[in-house]
Amino acid sequence: MSSSDADIQNIDRLIHEPSRLTIMMNLYVVESADFQFLQHQTDMTPGNLSSHLRKLEDAGYVEVTKEFVNRTPHTALRLTRKGREAFKEYRRNVKRFIDKVPE
Amino acid sequence: MTKQNTLREIEKKAYMSYHQDGLLDIFVGLYALAFGLGMIADKMLEFGFGAIMPAILVAIVLPIWIEAKRKITMPRIGFVKFGARGSNKLFALLLGLTVAGLGVFMLFGVFLATGQIGRPWWIEILFQYGMIWIGLGAAVIGSLFAYTMGLKRLHGYGLLTLALFVSGYFLSIPFEYLLLAIGSIIIASGAALLVQFARRYPLPKGAQANVVQ
Repeated sequence: MSSSDADIQNIDRLIHEPSRLTIMMNLYVVESADFQFLQHQTDMTPGNLSSHLRKLEDAGYVEVTKEFVNRTPHTALRLTRKGREAFKEYRRNVKRFIDKVPE
Repeated sequence: MTKQNTLREIEKKAYMSYHQDGLLDIFVGLYALAFGLGMIADKMLEFGFGAIMPAILVAIVLPIWIEAKRKITMPRIGFVKFGARGSNKLFALLLGLTVAGLGVFMLFGVFLATGQIGRPWWIEILFQYGMIWIGLGAAVIGSLFAYTMGLKRLHGYGLLTLALFVSGYFLSIPFEYLLLAIGSIIIASGAALLVQFARRYPLPKGAQANVVQ
């Protein structure tokens, strides 16, 4: 197997799916966001967003917590440490692969 | 996949969507308007309003702005906590402005203190063209906030203030009326943004909007 084949095999397929990649990118740039904010940023339907979030939560990449902000309940979504590291690793692997692709 | 490929663009979009509600503009405009009205009242009533108005306004306006964000923006767009990096930049900017403000305050003190003994020439020039310096300062501050917060319209407000104050200097328009003008324009701009924001992000129906289904 060539090194570029190895790189593409190392790409996290859970993150690589376009909708989940969008979710990960949007959560990466903030400390936390609620479902409504994330839905606006990603332009996804509630059902679609929920489904992808569940997969990321099951993988331990996203943490869902219920908290109160000024006495109003919110569902806060944030990347876990594992999720942030996985995303950084994903970026490195994609970059490594892209850099090896000939012009 | 969205068109915004870079993390920086996504971060900017997140930040801008939270500040496109026009509330910042309305409250900055109100601040300028009230400051101008305070100075006019000061001249008419000889009360000294103008001197204490800035402090009063910050104490009143800031909590109202925070509450308006909670009641108007958050129900429409949701809640987000931005990371430390953006907050640090803003904090550094506010700290820099505070230091600059203290510097201006000290200059003003020098101006007052040297009235009897003869002022240095550079102090005379500084205060002779005070309105132009204020306009330039507003343009610089507007641009700094525009760069830090990613809100391009703040460039426009800064340049508009510069244009008004330079015109006001040459047309001998009193400072307080220029404040009224700039305050009114910024409020109108903010109100238009608020209407646009409310149309773009209507209130979600029901309680499920904020719950993972």
